[in-house]
Amino acid sequence: MSSEEIIDPTVQHDASVRRVLLHMVLPFVLIIMTVGAIAWVGINSYRTTSEGVSVLTRELMEATQQYIGQEVGDYIAPSAAGNLIAGGMIEHAPPLVSDKVFYSYGSVMLQKIPQLQSFYLADDQGNFTLITRSPDKGVQDRERLVVGADGKKSFHHSLFNEAGQKLREFETPAGEYDPRTRPWYKNTEKKDSIQWTQPYLFPSDKQFVMTSSLRFKRDDGHEMVFATNISLNELSAFLDKIKIGKTGSAMIVDANGRVIAGRNLMQHAEAAGWDPNKMVLDPKTYPIFALGYDHYRVRGFGPKHVEWDGKTYIAMASALPRYSQGWILLIVAPENDFGSFAHQSSRQSLQFAGIVTVFSLTLGALYIRQLRRTEAGNRRLAVQQSQLAQESGALQQVAIAPNLFDPSAEPLAITEQLAQVTGARRASLWRFLHDGAAMVCDDTYDRTQNTHSGGFEMGREELGKFFDAIEEGTPFSVSNAATDERTTRFERLVMREVGTHALAVYPVHGPHGALGMLALEEPVMLPHLLYFVELMASIAGTRFAAQSAVEAQQTTSVENTALAPVQAFGAPKSDNLLMHAEEMAAVTGASIYPSVAVLVVSFADPVVEGSKETATLIALINQLATQVQTVAQEEQLFAVEVAGHRMICMAGCTTEPDPTALFRLANAALKMRETFMGALAAADLEPVFTMGMDYGPAFGGAVGQSPTVFNLWGQTVSLAELMAESAIDPGTIQVTERVYANLRDRYLFRSRGAFFVPHLGLGRAYTLAARR
Amino acid sequence: MEVYAAGPLLELNKAVPSFDESGLPPVPFSMKVMPGDCMVVEARDVGHATMFADLCSGLIPLDDGSVRFMGLDWTELGDRELNALRGRIGRVTHRASWPEFVPVHLAIVLQQLHHTTRPIDDLVQDAANLAERFGLPGLPTENPSFLPEDDLLRASCARAFLGQPHLLLLEDPLEGGPAELSNSFLAAITEARDRGAGVIWLVRNNAVWQEYRQGITATWRLADDGLVAVRMG
Repeated sequence: MSSEEIIDPTVQHDASVRRVLLHMVLPFVLIIMTVGAIAWVGINSYRTTSEGVSVLTRELMEATQQYIGQEVGDYIAPSAAGNLIAGGMIEHAPPLVSDKVFYSYGSVMLQKIPQLQSFYLADDQGNFTLITRSPDKGVQDRERLVVGADGKKSFHHSLFNEAGQKLREFETPAGEYDPRTRPWYKNTEKKDSIQWTQPYLFPSDKQFVMTSSLRFKRDDGHEMVFATNISLNELSAFLDKIKIGKTGSAMIVDANGRVIAGRNLMQHAEAAGWDPNKMVLDPKTYPIFALGYDHYRVRGFGPKHVEWDGKTYIAMASALPRYSQGWILLIVAPENDFGSFAHQSSRQSLQFAGIVTVFSLTLGALYIRQLRRTEAGNRRLAVQQSQLAQESGALQQVAIAPNLFDPSAEPLAITEQLAQVTGARRASLWRFLHDGAAMVCDDTYDRTQNTHSGGFEMGREELGKFFDAIEEGTPFSVSNAATDERTTRFERLVMREVGTHALAVYPVHGPHGALGMLALEEPVMLPHLLYFVELMASIAGTRFAAQSAVEAQQTTSVENTALAPVQAFGAPKSDNLLMHAEEMAAVTGASIYPSVAVLVVSFADPVVEGSKETATLIALINQLATQVQTVAQEEQLFAVEVAGHRMICMAGCTTEPDPTALFRLANAALKMRETFMGALAAADLEPVFTMGMDYGPAFGGAVGQSPTVFNLWGQTVSLAELMAESAIDPGTIQVTERVYANLRDRYLFRSRGAFFVPHLGLGRAYTLAARR
Repeated sequence: MEVYAAGPLLELNKAVPSFDESGLPPVPFSMKVMPGDCMVVEARDVGHATMFADLCSGLIPLDDGSVRFMGLDWTELGDRELNALRGRIGRVTHRASWPEFVPVHLAIVLQQLHHTTRPIDDLVQDAANLAERFGLPGLPTENPSFLPEDDLLRASCARAFLGQPHLLLLEDPLEGGPAELSNSFLAAITEARDRGAGVIWLVRNNAVWQEYRQGITATWRLADDGLVAVRMG
């Protein structure tokens, strides 16, 4: 590939596709697959965990519910079961001891079971006995409804301690109290099972109490009712204490939605004005319980998910066991309380997935980097191998070059291979002459032009510092030879013509110092190339040494030869002017003429095959020359110069502008064209000439000393020549824009177009056709 | 330009051009152009000559066979490589090839500007030198429609030789062109061959290349039965 080409067509595109696939797509796909696998495992794990958590939560809730149910059952059981036991005991006891049985039973139960508050025993005759706890600790109050002699009813209190010793007795009025009118008595009517009253409050000791009662018939035929008061406060305290999850709680409501037991029961009761019927589930106070209760009413028992304030709760409603008369246990707990470990587990999984992903990405990046490095290494290796092959090939080329060490043979192979291997634009071989007073170029190879040249000579006077640097014997290179004082002159003399900047110089060593140098312009000097260059320098050194020996012999033979006397050249008999004006004699030196009109006539080389034709042609040329002289004199031109197949006519060679010069020259051009056409037509020849004109400043004057000749040069002359060389057709006069601008009023022109010439700029070309 | 020395510069190996796409006879074309060769291909039909040059440039689909340039099969390259490889070919064609919206000087250097990193100053210098060499007073800066036919032919030659292409596909600029173009054209061909370029010179008749007959490597005729070698008497 040329170094200037943007795309190397020899590099196959599919290789890069493969590379992209290998380097980018494959790792990317692998990473995506890894991340996908991790995500899939994570999602599955999360789902499984969530389901597990859900099941576990439900089971936990159910277990809790069972536990609470059991606890509630256990709480109530002494009351309900006690009724049955006590009822059975009293039913079959003789009437005289039934009180004793009642008190014994009640006393023990009150001592052992804290939630029991009191026991009633009443019969259908209005008898009523009661045992309850006294406000004094460890004291029981046994009451009996008695009718005094005056017919007034009173309660006879007997206070006993825990040891069963009577402490004191007193009576309190009973008013019109009749146990048969009490709800706990009445609701057992015609029923043989345990009946419960609505909860009611004892404002005195702030106890919520319910009464369970059982009717039975004694052996003597009287019906009796045994009742037990059980406190709900203890149940609420139990529900308050029980832990459901972290922040969950439970509540017992009856079938009408009234709160039976639960957290903060007393505050609730106070808010309801101590009226149990008003202690319903208020959504403001118990929003989540209310929601759970609503769900239960719509969807029945079981766990339900409810949302409140953006948070998910599990609300579970379940029926309480026997004796509870349609009580419902409501359990409410935030889902997080149970699922938090699942969330933690998910978060950890996510973190784990993130870490694995980062590792995967890092590994992928390392993989890509490693691949690229490997490939770059392979490329470098390939480049080095190709360089090695190139150097070996170059060495082989040099080695097989015939007469490599023969100084009379040109060292073409050395410079060529140097340029090829080092990539230099030019490689040249220079040799010191005359004991280092000068240096001559044995050969220069231009790689881009594929051309050799040589024979240039440089003197120490011009390039003293450059010579000194070479003689130091150390290779040196400069990136811009124009700015380094050692190489400035060399750059101007040698390098500027091809526009090179970088220069590497390798002195060629001989037995007594430097013999010359290898110069590389714009080289790509890699360190490993040094040995190749030094090898070439050694070969060059051998050649130079041999050359010096040959030259020493030649010098001796020349010195022995008698020098022939130098013949002085005589003055030329004529110069190259076909015609010149008399004013030319007055021209003594060169100066600038501001407005010179120049006409260049260029003839094509005619093909001559025989001597007869040659004679005819010479006669024709002579005829044309004579006619030119005539026209020139008629138009008072300054001079007509002939050089080979070109003729330069000039007018206006004066230091003061001559306004008529251009008109005269244009007239002369037209006349000459007519004359040439006529003469060539008469000789049966095609018009083989073209003419070009320009007008402007030019340098001119007498140059040289013996002989002194007149010469005219400058841009005007160059442009006139260019016009002649590039005339559109044979026999035409092509002129520049300046000529056209001055003559367009008097002559007819045909435009050829606009053209750009480097260093001169843009201009138009015209063909001079005729006079107006 | 580095000389290509790894085999034939251009190789048509039983290449059967698609008749639908080219109008060329669908017969196998075989030819080998080595570096430095100058092949004259005589084609009476100007359109066929252009199509044959297209075939060599890999612009015509093949029904069979292959066309390889510098060892690369045109059909096996990607678009970028195809275009880059065509950047190594210089062409003079009779097909209209001067875009009207681009001035001629730009159209001349456009190919090199597109394919290479050469500085524009160098390109303009080279283009101006070539333009002068082919008989123009400089690098034409007008739009193509303002230039005479002869000057456009000269500009075509400058464009074809700019950048020292490896292969020159030249549909004869001499026939019908200015007579004085002949010398510079032949000199340019010779110089290109000397530096290792291959030349395919497509002509309409024998007369044009007779002056250069000693420099011709081989002569072919583009006929209905394909490329036929012509004996050089």
